[in-house]
Amino acid sequence: MKINIDGLLVLLPYDYIYPEQYSYMVELKRSLDAEGHCVLEMPSGTGKTVSLLSLIVAYLKTSPKDVCKLIYCSRTVPEIEKVLEELRKLMEYYEKETGEPPNLIGLALSSRKNLCIHPEASALQFGKEVDGRCHQMTASFVRSRHERDPDVPVCDFYERFDALGRETLLPPGIYNLDDMKDVGREKGYCPYFMARYAITYANIVVYSYHYLLDPKIADLVSKELAKNSVVVFDEAHNIDNVCIDSMSVTINRRMLDRCQTNVEALTRTVQRLKDTDQQRLRQEYSRLVEGLREANVARETDVVLSNPVLPDEVLQEAVPGNIRTAEHFVGFMKRFLEYLKSRLRIQHVVQETPASFLKDLKEKVCLDRKPLRFCSERLNSLIRTLEIADLTDFSPLILLANFATLVSTYMKGFTLIMEPFDDRTPTISNPILNFSCMDASIAIKPVFDRFQSVVITSGTLSPLDMYPKILDFRPVNMASFTMTLARPCICPMIVGRGNDQVTMTSKFESREDVAIIRNYGNLLVDMSAVVPDGIVAFFTSYSYMESTVAAWYEQGIIENVQRNKLLFIETQSAAETSVALQKYQEACENGRGAILLSVARGKVSEGIDFEHHLGRAVVMFGIPYVYTQSRILKARLEYLRDQFQIRENDFLTFDAMRHAAQCVGRVLRGKTDYGVMVFADKRFARSDKRGKLPKWIQEYLSDGMCNLTTDEAVQVSKKFLRQMAQPFRREDQLGLSLLTLEQLQTEEMKKRAQQTAHQAFMT
Amino acid sequence: MDEAICPRCKTTKYRNPSMVLMVNTCGHTLCENCVETLFARGSGTCPECNISLRRNTFRIQQFEDPFVDKEVDIRKRILKIYNRQEEEFTSLREYNDYLEEVETIIFNLSNNIDMELTKKKVEEYQKSNKSNIQRNRSKLSKDEELMEQLIEEEQAYLQHSRQELVQQERREKQRKMRQREELLDNLEFSDLPAGLVLASHTARQEEEMEKKPAPTTQFSTGIRIGGGTSFLPVPKAVEAALYQYRPGTVDLLGPEPPQITLLEENGYMSHMRDSSQADMAGGYTTKLGCHRALQEAFCGLYFVPHLTADSVGQEQDMELE
Repeated sequence: MKINIDGLLVLLPYDYIYPEQYSYMVELKRSLDAEGHCVLEMPSGTGKTVSLLSLIVAYLKTSPKDVCKLIYCSRTVPEIEKVLEELRKLMEYYEKETGEPPNLIGLALSSRKNLCIHPEASALQFGKEVDGRCHQMTASFVRSRHERDPDVPVCDFYERFDALGRETLLPPGIYNLDDMKDVGREKGYCPYFMARYAITYANIVVYSYHYLLDPKIADLVSKELAKNSVVVFDEAHNIDNVCIDSMSVTINRRMLDRCQTNVEALTRTVQRLKDTDQQRLRQEYSRLVEGLREANVARETDVVLSNPVLPDEVLQEAVPGNIRTAEHFVGFMKRFLEYLKSRLRIQHVVQETPASFLKDLKEKVCLDRKPLRFCSERLNSLIRTLEIADLTDFSPLILLANFATLVSTYMKGFTLIMEPFDDRTPTISNPILNFSCMDASIAIKPVFDRFQSVVITSGTLSPLDMYPKILDFRPVNMASFTMTLARPCICPMIVGRGNDQVTMTSKFESREDVAIIRNYGNLLVDMSAVVPDGIVAFFTSYSYMESTVAAWYEQGIIENVQRNKLLFIETQSAAETSVALQKYQEACENGRGAILLSVARGKVSEGIDFEHHLGRAVVMFGIPYVYTQSRILKARLEYLRDQFQIRENDFLTFDAMRHAAQCVGRVLRGKTDYGVMVFADKRFARSDKRGKLPKWIQEYLSDGMCNLTTDEAVQVSKKFLRQMAQPFRREDQLGLSLLTLEQLQTEEMKKRAQQTAHQAFMT
Repeated sequence: MDEAICPRCKTTKYRNPSMVLMVNTCGHTLCENCVETLFARGSGTCPECNISLRRNTFRIQQFEDPFVDKEVDIRKRILKIYNRQEEEFTSLREYNDYLEEVETIIFNLSNNIDMELTKKKVEEYQKSNKSNIQRNRSKLSKDEELMEQLIEEEQAYLQHSRQELVQQERREKQRKMRQREELLDNLEFSDLPAGLVLASHTARQEEEMEKKPAPTTQFSTGIRIGGGTSFLPVPKAVEAALYQYRPGTVDLLGPEPPQITLLEENGYMSHMRDSSQADMAGGYTTKLGCHRALQEAFCGLYFVPHLTADSVGQEQDMELE
């Protein structure tokens, strides 16, 4: 279908369009025109990805000067593949309509693990091992050694790519990970480096968040992307946590012990080199004296660790004199390490700021701030000089150096927390140092500064104004779209009481309450009797789930549930969970029906969809507040309060509600789908919680459904499910929630679309 | 540190939890008891390297590796002597060279390389830079200053925010109490239907919930309120050639007036009034007045008009400029 969005001809590879897709594209176009950032919320299952791609591709084609590139960031490899499939469909449609293939290149970039075609390296199991093996064969010194001695193994694919690959560009088309590998095999090029090189000239790049947000990788991969690119963060409801994780460092005792062996190895290597090949050390030394940085000529394989945070002008400066020679630097690291060890010998929790940490460091072991800042740069240089091929062994020391650089660079927005033991096991000494970032905006700031338009989008972003606050940017456009439905296919309800009128809540004080646990159990039993096929139930934490299920077993509730449906449980082990999921699907397929007990913030709640019969109802037992006793969280809350005027409770509720929305959103994956959403906690009914649910759920959550008993809830769902089970055809949807081109062009529809867009703008 | 063991008596932390290991300047450990017995007389030799040691230089081992203890010890001592700041150097390169030199000295001393030579070098340096070392002793480097300032700020802020929090909580409590009472009163006495009263109550509540602006911490110029200003270091004076006095020349445009010493001899003084006591106190002697009168009399006798015209023209030019 060809549609006209605000003067831009957009090709959509489907015959029908949802009204909200139209509004979404209008809003998106507006933000692109304004060359600003935007936050857009649209329910999952309404074709967000395809609307995004269609509009931006149309933009790319018509005004390549304004927007030259689309960078699409997604979270997981399957999601990346999905995006590329949509893109391929779109391109095929373009070809059909215009008669010639569009002159665009779209490709996916992932880790070496997913792209390597070298017979030995690709057989390795873990990503780190593949990286290490690859580095062993492609590092520049290995290659130069190979020139002298042909027995030294190198990667033929990389050699061929290095010799020829850069001259020939990829032909226009869409390449997913497998396509890249195929091209690589056909031409004998290394697909990973081909992809990394190709993102500089490709029009559409799809990769993971980390390639932009993690400063350690971003500098390497995404350095040369042009300013007039559009960056899209899809499924971005957790983006602040990704930002924070990418800047935080956790160090425990075991890691320090491994650092110790690293330092010893370095000392030995330096000594050996000093005896045998002093020339090399001297070369490095004189380079550092001159303050020259590595000339980045054809060294893409070498730079495995780049400086995470330092601005370029600092790096241009010469390395401080007291860590210039290799021996001095190793001694320096040793002192830093010993200092940390002595700090970890604590008996009680310590929390301090980077400033006081640095002061103590200066007093105790005389380490200045300046050389600390250069630590990771210097280690990088040393490792290269020593020609250490296998970096996997040195990862602890690299982490330590990164920590040194971070702690001496950032004075604000970070905190150091040293805990002698885990809160759950206070008798076992397990000291941990957390260097935690509290300000999500630090990691993402370069992205906002660098690119002209950044689109943050997801199915659940409510309340919208929280994201600009915590990420510290000014959007030109914020909009939340509801789902236009031909029939009310979601049925949210808040169950606040059991049949015996006892309040249901997962409040911490009443977790042990037998009456509440029993009421939760009865709710599950009763629902399992009326809901066909699959039910997904979410608990607030693993420990809560365990204790509740144990209590249910004693109360005989498990037995009752199993009369109706099979029971599966998500555990912390990924392998176990995937088996449980598979069996759950099987049970739903063959009509036996099943219940999956899982945990909010777990694997299931984040990435797995329960379409159609796989999830007809979802039950949320309690509000999924994050573990509030954690010191890191407390520090972050304090910081948010001081810096952004966000009150602690506001943030906690926001965080809990976005996870609750994520969980219940799992059941509805399209307009023909339907499902019951049960919020089993009285506190959901309060306006501060209810108001934070996404608009499209709030719409169907009437006041009458806000404080039901178990009985009432069962009655309502029974009625709802019977109604929904009636045959539903496309014709019923047409004109209401599904539009043809003619319908879209009618005056009435235009007005409506404009109105929804306007409403969205107001929110 | 659980596997720590005294090299002499072989006591471990496990067998004697109160054992404390000590380190001396040579970097070898001994437990406290062994130190007591071996160094009862105040001095003795290290059982491992036979260096003579004094008892009062023993200190408790801080780090797992006694070598680091020793190195830090040396470092602190050396850094007290080599305490020049970055500002004292004209270029970064020089400063970095200096840093490396210091590092080499410390490295040599802690690894027993060229001990004698290095020690001599340090002594020489200490002797030749005595005043400089003294002066720098109390100075903080820029980074340290920044750090101090930050820590101070943080503490002030913490205190402030704590107080704020307590006050806020109190206010909130009071407000809630007041609102509750108001609502009850309204429900009791008002003629309006209860629903309306409730609605207006919630509306007001929401209104009051509107956030007050946060107190400003900065002036509009971006300078922090109450924060200390850090001054730039005073630039070092450039050493140039000493100033030399040259007597000025006065062009009188006339013949040379008689010298002040010759006034009496030539009889110029015969018609002069003697200066009073008050004049003398001000430094005006009779000769001075006479000399001045003579100067004025001789001045301008060779005056030629066209010269003045030139100079007037020049003046006008100056004005125009």
